[in-house]
Amino acid sequence: MDGGTVAAQRLIGIAQRARPRPNADAWLLAGPCLLYLVAFAIYPLIYSLRLSFTDLTAADASGRWVGLANYEYMLRDPLFWNALKNSAIMVTITVALQVVLGVALALFFNLRLRGSWLVRGILVLPMLITPIVTGLMWRALLNPDWGLINWCIARMGFEPPNWLGSVEMAMKTLVLVDVWQWTPFVFIIVFARLQALPQDVFEAAQIDGAGPFSAFTHVTLPLLLPAIGFAAVFRAVDSFRSFDLVFGLSYGGPARSTTTLSFFSFQNGFQFQNYGYAAAVAYAMLLILVVGTTILLRYVRLRPGDSR
Amino acid sequence: MQDKDNSPYQSGRAKNIGRRRLMQAAGAVGFSGTVLGGLLGAAAPARAAAFDPKKYAGTRLSILMIGGEGDERALADLLPQFEAETGIKLEISAPAIGPLIEKTVQVLKADSPSFDLVNYLGFLTTQQVGGGYFDRLNDLIDNPAETPADWDFKDFIPATVDNVGRFDLKAHKKGGNDIYGIPGLHSGSVIYFYRKDLFEKAGLQPAKTWDEFQAAAKTLHTDQVAGASFIGANDSSLTLVDWYTRFLTIGGSLMSGDPNGKDFRPHVDSAESVAALQMLIDLLPYAPKNVTQYGYSENVDAFSVGKIAQMIFWSTIAGQVFDPDKSSVADVTGTTTVPAAIGQKARAVQGGWGTGNPKNSDPAKKAAAWRALTWITNKQVNRYELGKYNIDASRVSAFRDPEIVAKYPYVTDSAAAIASAEAIPTALIDEFFQMNDAMTVEFNKALIGGQDAKTACAAVQAKWIEILRKGGHLT
Repeated sequence: MDGGTVAAQRLIGIAQRARPRPNADAWLLAGPCLLYLVAFAIYPLIYSLRLSFTDLTAADASGRWVGLANYEYMLRDPLFWNALKNSAIMVTITVALQVVLGVALALFFNLRLRGSWLVRGILVLPMLITPIVTGLMWRALLNPDWGLINWCIARMGFEPPNWLGSVEMAMKTLVLVDVWQWTPFVFIIVFARLQALPQDVFEAAQIDGAGPFSAFTHVTLPLLLPAIGFAAVFRAVDSFRSFDLVFGLSYGGPARSTTTLSFFSFQNGFQFQNYGYAAAVAYAMLLILVVGTTILLRYVRLRPGDSR
Repeated sequence: MQDKDNSPYQSGRAKNIGRRRLMQAAGAVGFSGTVLGGLLGAAAPARAAAFDPKKYAGTRLSILMIGGEGDERALADLLPQFEAETGIKLEISAPAIGPLIEKTVQVLKADSPSFDLVNYLGFLTTQQVGGGYFDRLNDLIDNPAETPADWDFKDFIPATVDNVGRFDLKAHKKGGNDIYGIPGLHSGSVIYFYRKDLFEKAGLQPAKTWDEFQAAAKTLHTDQVAGASFIGANDSSLTLVDWYTRFLTIGGSLMSGDPNGKDFRPHVDSAESVAALQMLIDLLPYAPKNVTQYGYSENVDAFSVGKIAQMIFWSTIAGQVFDPDKSSVADVTGTTTVPAAIGQKARAVQGGWGTGNPKNSDPAKKAAAWRALTWITNKQVNRYELGKYNIDASRVSAFRDPEIVAKYPYVTDSAAAIASAEAIPTALIDEFFQMNDAMTVEFNKALIGGQDAKTACAAVQAKWIEILRKGGHLT
């Protein structure tokens, strides 16, 4: 190694030391974001986890450590299982309906009929409404005495259903309203994917003699699956934690027929002030979501070519 | 501090008095009050000498109070006067009942001060006052330098003070001599609203017993007007107003034992409990078609447009029912005390609110907060609330105001109802809302045909026992 090389290396070394270390830059840039995460996500998560092992109530602020007692009680609590069942029903039916309707609408609008842009615009409006407002609005529309929908049905000579007053109908009504609000979300995702599909594969299918149905089942649908999968997973997670719609529309009733896990946790936490138990229910929800989403993502292809 | 007296306003144990008698009493008290007022007026300056109404001028305070029940409107009307008289600025925060309860819990438990005065529901006295979140007020009440001479603690209806004010923190139960909250801004209980025109036309008298109530419902029911209504929805008032009033007045006893012992036992599966629920089920054919979805507002609206012939309800709805701008039946509505079985006293549940100084409020503002509390619960404010918005007052003097009584005859029934009302025993423990919810859900299920009255009551009994055991109130 000659003197010139040594001098050059020394100079490079000095320059490197003078430059701020990349690690410090990274911390500086990520710092605010990390602080935000710690303050508003990680700390509440840890705090509520700790809470779920206590018997903290509004009247007794001491919050004694009770170990797994809240979880143990939860597994024995028929109200928890009822809420879990309702959440499962809601997720399964709403997601299935939203996917079917959303895909159908996307295919329909992909035909590019005249004026479809206007209808498309109107179609996505429900999604822009806050769920709590959606709940209250539909509650008014379905009011048995003066609701517009019942009035229309009665004018047509039919007996209006007891939308929110019967155990049999209330969950169906909740599903109906959720589907009304969130089908446009699935539609937008699938429609956007449809617009971006490569045309050459369709031309190739046509050359190979594929008819419209065959092209749909063998070309369009497989290419759409990642978008459908994404929309379904997103909607399933969102529907599982649905609270505001239940709060505004049915308030969990009648006879707890629409009490979902989120609403059940809210009731225990904010109405009954059993913070420990409410936190345990919330953690059970988190666990179910993590497990459920992992399984869903394992079986749903989000990118073309992803292996199952 | 007040002593128990023999007035018709005597708490829970009050005599059952008629409207005529109450009016006579009101007249007599009004006269004697005038005479006594003159005498006391002469003595007042000696006590008021140390009192400086503007001692805390320039202080900014905040109050967290119930919204949507009229109090905040009355207080907002009077704020300019309050500021002129005290020099204190008061900021009102008035969410609806659900959000208020949630917010109150957070506010009271917070380490740092946020509100100087907090309004709490009487049903939550045990939880919130019993939780030790409010300052003891006795010293302030008795301090002439801090309390206006004419504020008159003895004027509060004793039953309301028992409901929201007195609490024994050591024994963790209502009662005792320590005061932690002042009744108000409004109180209330349950009275019987009926359509005078329909009853007269049918040759009926307002029901004195539940059998008469049922018979009147049957007679008065038409396609246009329901013979009777009640809160049939999954709403806490289904149990607090409709079921509990019937249960109490047919001789039911909800709980036995000591709430702080291990023997606090429910009797929801008793014959009276099943009978009270059955009464509601039996009313279904004569109630509005969708009564099982009727909560507070649905009933008040339907009654106000003339679709209901009779119902028992919170007396606080008088503001809408007797307002000709909001009610088409304002001039044909009558009120009286709730029906009761023969030999039973007409009475219902004690509602209403209390207001106190949170322990965690700014120490530098506590005296000013007390000044504000005495002002917003004074006689004038009580009279204004009752006279302007028909919000049930917490003071005897408001209910005896001759002008108000002449204008709104129903207030004598309200006053009698509040005076004789009883706090529901489940409100003596922290699990009140949870127990009430369990009952409401099962009773609503019975009303929509999901189960019979006996099964519903048995289910509630089992759930209550479970809750009581978990809470350590029952072994």
